[in-house]
Amino acid sequence: MFKKILIANRGEIAVRIIKACQEMGISTVGVYSEADRNSLHVQMADEALCIGPPPAVESYLDMDRIIDAAKQTGAEAIHPGYGFLAENAGFARRCEKEKIVFIGPNSDALELVGDKVRSRQTLEKAGIPIIPGMKEIVKDISVIKAEARKIGYPVMIKASAGGGGKGMRVVFQEEDLAPSLEAGMREAKSAFGDESVYLEKYIEEPRHVEFQVLADDHGNVVHFFERECSIQRRHQKIVEETPSQALDPKLRFKMGETARKVMQVSGYNNAGTVEFLLDRDKNFYFLEVNARLQVEHPVTELTTGVDLVHQQIRIASGEKLPFSQDRLEQKGHAIECRIYAEDPHNNFLPSSGKVLYLKEPRGPGVRHDCGIYSGCEVPIYYDPILAKLIVWAENREMACQRMIKALDDYVILGIQTTIDFLRDVIDHPQFRKGDTSTSFIPDYFGNWTGDESTDEKQKMALLAAAFDSIQISQSGKGFQTEKRQVYSPWLSLGKWRLGSK
Amino acid sequence: MEFEFLVNDVLQKITVEKKENHFVFFDGIKTSEADIQHISANQISILVEGRSYLVYYAQDKDSRYFYIDGQQFIVKEPSEEGVESFRLGEERTSEGTLLVKAPMPGKVIKINVHEKDEVRKNQTLAIVEAMKMENEIKASVDGTIKKIHVSAGDLVDSEKPLIELEPASQ
Repeated sequence: MFKKILIANRGEIAVRIIKACQEMGISTVGVYSEADRNSLHVQMADEALCIGPPPAVESYLDMDRIIDAAKQTGAEAIHPGYGFLAENAGFARRCEKEKIVFIGPNSDALELVGDKVRSRQTLEKAGIPIIPGMKEIVKDISVIKAEARKIGYPVMIKASAGGGGKGMRVVFQEEDLAPSLEAGMREAKSAFGDESVYLEKYIEEPRHVEFQVLADDHGNVVHFFERECSIQRRHQKIVEETPSQALDPKLRFKMGETARKVMQVSGYNNAGTVEFLLDRDKNFYFLEVNARLQVEHPVTELTTGVDLVHQQIRIASGEKLPFSQDRLEQKGHAIECRIYAEDPHNNFLPSSGKVLYLKEPRGPGVRHDCGIYSGCEVPIYYDPILAKLIVWAENREMACQRMIKALDDYVILGIQTTIDFLRDVIDHPQFRKGDTSTSFIPDYFGNWTGDESTDEKQKMALLAAAFDSIQISQSGKGFQTEKRQVYSPWLSLGKWRLGSK
Repeated sequence: MEFEFLVNDVLQKITVEKKENHFVFFDGIKTSEADIQHISANQISILVEGRSYLVYYAQDKDSRYFYIDGQQFIVKEPSEEGVESFRLGEERTSEGTLLVKAPMPGKVIKINVHEKDEVRKNQTLAIVEAMKMENEIKASVDGTIKKIHVSAGDLVDSEKPLIELEPASQ
């Protein structure tokens, strides 16, 4: 087993991995950009090294600096988390060359599954059902136009190196194709450093169902059942759960076996996820392999009792998987909500700034994977994910109730977050019925404005504000220290007058 | 004392008097008594007629944040100019033109218009990237582009004007 691991990531996932290492008695090295000096992962790691300026390309994506940091600290392995270098075959290869263990799949498998176009070709040959669409990368817009016509609109633009919704666009008519391609390529280039995009048939109202797989270096490939991730905004998952309401044991078995076959055919090892789209008629199509630990991995952990990060580390150190497929089972129901620093009341614009106060939800069956703390700054440079809230309960209905309660009990002040939006999603009758598809958010939440606040709560907020003002005036400390004119009538009376006109 | 606050950008009034160890407040309809305590740095407990409310609380330089049962209220002092508000990321100049600003700090990816261009409402004026997502900045009205203050690649905060837009005469 390793003695020291470098975590080449930031935010909640770096914290999650550091905790796993600590539990296994492994010492940790954190790396950070200049914008992250005060971030939580830096405080938690045993050692921490600055790897450059805030932009990710000069820090978290800079292979040389990360490799140097590993050598300098004597880390034997690097865990890339998700995003950044997690699915970069060049980085995995570089680690192999430098004799540092990359905690993830081998570089050949990573290259194959990371190349969406080549993996589509390979898997189709192996008899895996794939979504109709382009099977090679073309740069010539007129050729892409012709391909789109052949596939038939609507089509989906996808980044060949993609994931996480970056670079993805749905195009309904030909006149929108060129500008969407341009935007998709630009986003792909900035997110993955590769602007290649291709087209697939856009399957309307599918469910997004994925299977968690672990593969060791001794030929064992085991799946840990599905996660349903149909609740998405801008092609980005925001709520995930397991089990899926759409699968029966027979379909689950069939999709699980297909997922194992995908990994076997790809020569895959370590943790990975096989994503499928499931159409209205319960046909499933291979979508892509996510060759990393997923954001939504905790729902699988809570229903199977397996710590996937521990397993990743064990596999990377050469251990055999201690599971056999027919012994595994799902227990109860788990739901995850992703907490983003975005303002749902204002078109989901990113919200950066200082977290003035954080109160984490607690209680039986509640797990909070968190990358922030009261007083920390949320920088503008990175993904807006702050934390993940995961609940487990005996059944789906109780899990929904528990999630709503936990979201109500979750306070982040100072920046805007998606907490109240998520609460309404979980509380929606269609969600409660389990009737979800990837168009759930546009269908039911396209014009969401949030609950009109109740008079009662508003009255209490006003009362609290007035109380606070009175307390301040009595303690003599101004709420606003340097002053423009304050217009509370009482402030202009007597000795507490602040500023002047 | 009567207090006026902007609560989530709407002007609200409440009258509160301190009486010995409790408070009496009037919300415009009725008068009630409340027992209010700061129970920790970020928590205020309110008991009104046997009901218990826990209010979470924090402040930065010009806002106070109150959170009650799943709902956040941002409380500000009413501004000198009164309560007129424009769409976030926009400001009206004295000549009546609109200064379009980035609604969040980020990087200008692209300016989609030129000076003197006529634009339609909801037309994309610029693309600003923040937290790795591209956000389209759209025109809120029909009008003419008077001046462009930034170019692609510039880092902007939410104060800096991107584009000056002259609304079409009605």
